[in-house]
Amino acid sequence: MSDLAQVSPRAFRWARRRASAAGFWRSLRRDKLALTSLVVLVLFVVLAVVAPWVSNRADFNVINTGDNPVWAKPSGQYLLGTDNYGRSVALQVLWGARVSLFVGVAATVLTIVLGTLVGISAGFFGGWIDAVLMRITDWFLVIPFLPFAIVLASVLGRSLWNIVFVIGITSWPSTARLVRSQVLSLRERLYVDRARALGGGRAHIIGRHILPNVTPLVLASTTLAVPISILTETTLAFLGLGDPTDVSWGGILDQARTAAAVTTNRWWYYLPPGVAIIMVVLAFTIFGRALEAILDPRLRDR
Amino acid sequence: MQHRSRGKGLWAIGVAGAALVASLATAPAGTAGAQYGGPPITLTVGLVQDIDTPNVTAGYLVSSYELWNLQYATLTDKAADDFSTIPGLAESWEASDDGLTYTYTLRAGLTWSDNEPLTADDVAWTINTSRDQEWLNHYSVTQNLTATAIDDVTVEITSAVPDPKLPTMDVYILPRHIWEAPSEGDITTYEALDGVGSGPFVLQEWKPGQEWVMTANGTYWGGQPAIDQVVFRVYTEGSTMVAALQDGELDVAHLVPAELFVQLQSEPGIVTVAGAPGGFSELAMNGMAGGLGDGHPALLDINVRHAIAHAIDRDALFDRVALGIGQREDTIGASADPVWTPEIPADQQLNYDPVEAERLLDAGGYLDTNGDGVREMPGGGQPLRLRYAERSESSQGPPLREFITAFLAEVGIATEVSVFDDTQLTDIIARGEYDLFVWGWTPFVDPDPLLSYFTCDQVTTDPDNPLYNDANWCSEEYDALYTEQNQELDRDRRIELVHQMITLFHNEATYVVLYHDADTQAYRTDRFEGWLQQPSGTGPVVFTNSSPTYANLRPIGSEAPTDTTAPGDTAAPGDTTAPGDTTASGGTAPVSTVAPAAPADDDSSTGLIIGILVGLLVVVGGVVLVLRSRSGRDDRE
Repeated sequence: MSDLAQVSPRAFRWARRRASAAGFWRSLRRDKLALTSLVVLVLFVVLAVVAPWVSNRADFNVINTGDNPVWAKPSGQYLLGTDNYGRSVALQVLWGARVSLFVGVAATVLTIVLGTLVGISAGFFGGWIDAVLMRITDWFLVIPFLPFAIVLASVLGRSLWNIVFVIGITSWPSTARLVRSQVLSLRERLYVDRARALGGGRAHIIGRHILPNVTPLVLASTTLAVPISILTETTLAFLGLGDPTDVSWGGILDQARTAAAVTTNRWWYYLPPGVAIIMVVLAFTIFGRALEAILDPRLRDR
Repeated sequence: MQHRSRGKGLWAIGVAGAALVASLATAPAGTAGAQYGGPPITLTVGLVQDIDTPNVTAGYLVSSYELWNLQYATLTDKAADDFSTIPGLAESWEASDDGLTYTYTLRAGLTWSDNEPLTADDVAWTINTSRDQEWLNHYSVTQNLTATAIDDVTVEITSAVPDPKLPTMDVYILPRHIWEAPSEGDITTYEALDGVGSGPFVLQEWKPGQEWVMTANGTYWGGQPAIDQVVFRVYTEGSTMVAALQDGELDVAHLVPAELFVQLQSEPGIVTVAGAPGGFSELAMNGMAGGLGDGHPALLDINVRHAIAHAIDRDALFDRVALGIGQREDTIGASADPVWTPEIPADQQLNYDPVEAERLLDAGGYLDTNGDGVREMPGGGQPLRLRYAERSESSQGPPLREFITAFLAEVGIATEVSVFDDTQLTDIIARGEYDLFVWGWTPFVDPDPLLSYFTCDQVTTDPDNPLYNDANWCSEEYDALYTEQNQELDRDRRIELVHQMITLFHNEATYVVLYHDADTQAYRTDRFEGWLQQPSGTGPVVFTNSSPTYANLRPIGSEAPTDTTAPGDTAAPGDTTAPGDTTASGGTAPVSTVAPAAPADDDSSTGLIIGILVGLLVVVGGVVLVLRSRSGRDDRE
């Protein structure tokens, strides 16, 4: 790249970002499995997003399904059959993707934001701030996760945002610990010392030097946190703690259970949501691992 | 008594203590053991609701009544066929000329299961003390009574007012020598694990949340029962219970989920009973009579309540949620006897008619002025957005909520759903902080107790002292009728008065009765015979008003004790009493055990197998892929 010398610093930065994105894409393309996972994820996200345009929520409202056959097996008309109220299972799974993915992503964002904030504060400032924040983190870490989530969910009431909150509040500590350890090593680096010597304030150092350097780590742990969030949402919904007016994959499984679909061998009611959960969780995990593998060496390179 | 209000008793404060403390009971003296020296003949009953407490002065759940029905005999019994009054502890009785006093003569030689004599003194003590201390399950019968023991076998009972319920005296008679000490303190906190009674079976052991065991009472005045013990096993899940029944671990199951009940109907060797009446389910609206809480003001308008009733397609609820099991009725059922339930004239029935619902709302000025699809109070302002409390402890809770909220949305009434367990719901009802909820009542033989729940006296005015009137509704006209029927000795006239009361309550539409549930039960025919429906032909076989089945059951082929080890009898009776075998009870049985006995629907089994294979493939494939990706990454590093 002989023309590098002639471009402005801003253009140079952009060129470097483009180059690293291209490099990232090249690494990703080599990993066929990760690519497949990405395709699966994109597919689910697209399905979830277009659901309101390709179907009508009212189509599986019980008061509109009175004329449908109950417990119809999968067929051309009902792709995944119908349940005990004549509702199409395919439609429920499609709309369930919206809630499951939304909760998974929203709860992860909350987890990551909380975890990063606490991790950076604790690692960067050290001293009593570190001590206090880490004791709080430890406290959350030692509480058995599921019982705590169940208690919180039943105390707060059953709504979508409460589930997001419950998952977020129960899963941030590991991210915080991860980020803190990274920050501890980062803040001792020479360039941080240099920035400090040149008069850089705390905000500057955190914003320009620490945060950008923990971002890849945070990103990788984000993709790994999403499947955990989705599984937690499924668990809570299956236990009847989800938003009662929304359909989610865990909720469908719960309904299948109460409708005795398992004992009466109506597999088309409980298998599709189960498979959907497995596919999304697996795809996120594989993709997250691949991301980690690609991003980790860069971290180490520095 | 016979207050069988399926978890709806509002006087349950203080029960928890007794229930929590109890774990192991002392073995009663009357333990029968095996009659023939072999393993005890055991009847195993499956149910989804544990008892709340064995203490009859504190409990209120349906399952607890089964325990008391077996453990405590009553002065007069109820016929298995038709609930008619027959001799119980008393073999005969005589009325005085004014009809206020009855003299009962007890059977000779009655004893408690611990061999203490059962005398008229026990009877008089129970009646007088329950009246003075207002025992939960006795007071509605004994409140106006005074009992005097004339001699050991003669007791005289006098009522202060004309009482149409007499000479029926169906309150549980308690052993004074056991209960006198607890009654001197707070009797409701007594654990009541003594297992001393006068019925066919007495409590031996209670493991809360798992099971309770009752053994035959060798001194039972009706004769030694043919079975040695009854194990009541508590399941957390209806489908697990049904699987256990199909496997032969259970002999009878109570409250089978409708979906599985339909399946069992075609299963050989199993008899299904849709016992009527089980009780009724209603959509209740906050009538705000107690002045507590924050009910929606629109619910005070009878036209809004009628509109809500007209908006709901109750035929759809009955056919699709209850699966047609039970009765499609318009009104509450105040008695297990249908003679007390009136026919509502066609022009007063609040049937499904969304057009009429919209007309009523429009005429009342409840219009959607801001175009958001939800009507507002007349003149704009507060939207018709009602809080809907869903019961988490009912499997029909979610589907009923889904139907009802959708029907209401169709006529422009919005809902906000919250889910509560029964304790929470009891609490918000007591505080009046609700608009709508769906729950139910199970009636008694005499209509009086259930009718009393809707009187002004039962309206809660102190949230810490919740009473029965959960509709928070009150009417002087209703109260006047209530007092009148309560002292009306002419049965036909009393029936007429009760019909008037129920019709009045129906027309107010504070309760929209959805349907009358059936008590769905199923029993196996391979081990025991002598199952009794109460009332005959239509009633349930267990969990009935006086539970006559148990003493009537005998092993098939009777006197041969070897019968209990017949092939296919997977639940060897000995197992259930094996020491340390405490985990055998419900909830833990693997679901897969249903397979051998499941109806052979080839297509769906094939489907299931394919489904499982696909699932396995996805999981195994996924694991392999993850491992590979991991090793691939390791290679790269």
